[in-house]
Amino acid sequence: MTSPVRTVKLSKTYEVRARKGLFKSEKRSVEALKSITLEVNQGEVFGLLGPNGAGKTTLIKILTTLLLPTSGEAWINGYNVTQNENKVRASVGCMLMGERGLYWKLTGRENLEYFGALYHLDPSARRKRSNQIIELLKLGEIADRMVESYSSGQKMNLAFGKALINDAPLLVLDEPTNTLDLPSASELRSIVRQLNKQGKTVIYTTHIMSEAETLCDRVAIIDRGELLALGTVEELKTSLQREGITHIEGVIPARAEEAVRAIPSVLQATRTAQDGGALLTVVTASGREILPQLIEALTHSGAIIQKITPEELTLEDVFIAKTGRTLAEDTRIANK
Amino acid sequence: MALRANFSVLFASFKMRLMTITRYPGQLVMDIFIPIVFAYMPILLGRASGSNPAAVFAANTGTSNYIAYMLIGSSVFTLVNFAFWHVAYWLRWEQEAGTLEALYLVPTHRIWVVAGTALYSCLRGMFSALAAYVLGSIIFDVNPFQGEVLLALVFILVGLIPLYSLTLLYGALILKVKEANALVNLMQWGVSFFMGIFFPIAIFPPLLKVIALLFPPTWMTNGVRSALLGVGFFFKTWYLDLAVLWAFVLITPFFGYWVFNRTERSVRRNEGVGQF
Repeated sequence: MTSPVRTVKLSKTYEVRARKGLFKSEKRSVEALKSITLEVNQGEVFGLLGPNGAGKTTLIKILTTLLLPTSGEAWINGYNVTQNENKVRASVGCMLMGERGLYWKLTGRENLEYFGALYHLDPSARRKRSNQIIELLKLGEIADRMVESYSSGQKMNLAFGKALINDAPLLVLDEPTNTLDLPSASELRSIVRQLNKQGKTVIYTTHIMSEAETLCDRVAIIDRGELLALGTVEELKTSLQREGITHIEGVIPARAEEAVRAIPSVLQATRTAQDGGALLTVVTASGREILPQLIEALTHSGAIIQKITPEELTLEDVFIAKTGRTLAEDTRIANK
Repeated sequence: MALRANFSVLFASFKMRLMTITRYPGQLVMDIFIPIVFAYMPILLGRASGSNPAAVFAANTGTSNYIAYMLIGSSVFTLVNFAFWHVAYWLRWEQEAGTLEALYLVPTHRIWVVAGTALYSCLRGMFSALAAYVLGSIIFDVNPFQGEVLLALVFILVGLIPLYSLTLLYGALILKVKEANALVNLMQWGVSFFMGIFFPIAIFPPLLKVIALLFPPTWMTNGVRSALLGVGFFFKTWYLDLAVLWAFVLITPFFGYWVFNRTERSVRRNEGVGQF
């Protein structure tokens, strides 16, 4: 079966002008994507994570034919993005510009029907599909009002609806829950999941880690144009747990601490006094795999274990470990 | 099927523009009055500058009906103006509204969307230009339908094709330099000067005259004036002047399309169409 998305050594270099005062400028090259190779599987929700300026929008723009790559190749639903542009466009539903991709002087329904026409749906199919989307997104009350009168969240919902107008097998959603309140964001995520269950493949960019964690089957972490990590959320966490931290509480004598330190994969063990006992914090090079060895060393050296707490990792921890900073930091490539 | 689907896009784009303008009803009324006001100033200037302006004007232009001459000039200029503002500026408008990228995500070539916009612009321009011409003629008490009205219409209709093709070149420029207002304003005054909206290009120095003759609107304006007022065709006969306009029809659409496509590709190779 053809992969919905496949890229091979995809690179993009921009020519930008750095302004130096009023009249002077300097031409510079910025590598926005560096040899990205990845494949998105049929029917998965694929998360694309990265801080601002990481290159994820550039990647999405190339995949949706808005930009031409400098080198490398990409295929969407089996069509080459530079050679079969219209076939690529017909097979993708996109939400890239948030609320800005709409005509504010038209009503929500008129917007949907206009874009339906641009996707070559005949008039009756346009009307039918628009009605389905209005019903799915519960836009009935506002569908016949001009978009300029919508709230920001309503505009985002309509923009999402616009991405569904051609009923494409692949959805590309760029931060679709931006400006949505929590219940609306949750509702939109559940619709994405529902569409995914119906067979649609989804590429989903977000900077909300919990969103990626709950929604995405696999995640790619991208920063400064490079693909830093790719896998399921669990795989990414497990890969990080090779350098895991475990907290052990109980009666822990000094020799137990020494015994733990003697285990080859233990990088650090620190014992601190606690009410009625001690807390041993152990940093290991092999994550949870070392737990049986730890327990054995402690019990053989006279320790009484009351509680073992391996530190739970989040996708945010994975992100920090891979990129060296939090996702909230603004790392615009232009300012690099 | 593909052609039918593309025509459906053209019609949808036309309908969308029409729906949008109906939400600004005041603009439609202004469209009619602006050409009259535009012609009013030189007409009054003519009346103020001599005891017998009609005779002086006839000696230089071939017609003493300077009121209809000005009205025709400003009405044809309305068509030119609409073409540049509606089609060339259309790109900028979409870019600023954030909808231009959305148009590049659909499996339809932009040319069909532009064609729909051009059709809307043509109809709105024709309506405004004709209404302004007739209303202006009534206000200034001249007969609007003297001479060969059908021939004048033929010159306008044939001339619209190269005119809208030229706007594609201009659209390409806007796509590249991302500035529209100053460019369209400059073009507006440049074209109005060269097409001779208020004076015959016969009074130009030779080099300026050659430049003026490279603009299809110059042939449109003179063709309409010659058909209605008998000022004289450039090649003495209407069919030779019309043949020149047809030559523009054969060349400019392809040239405009080629330049637009090349610019589009160049923009997509670097920053993309959404940046403004």
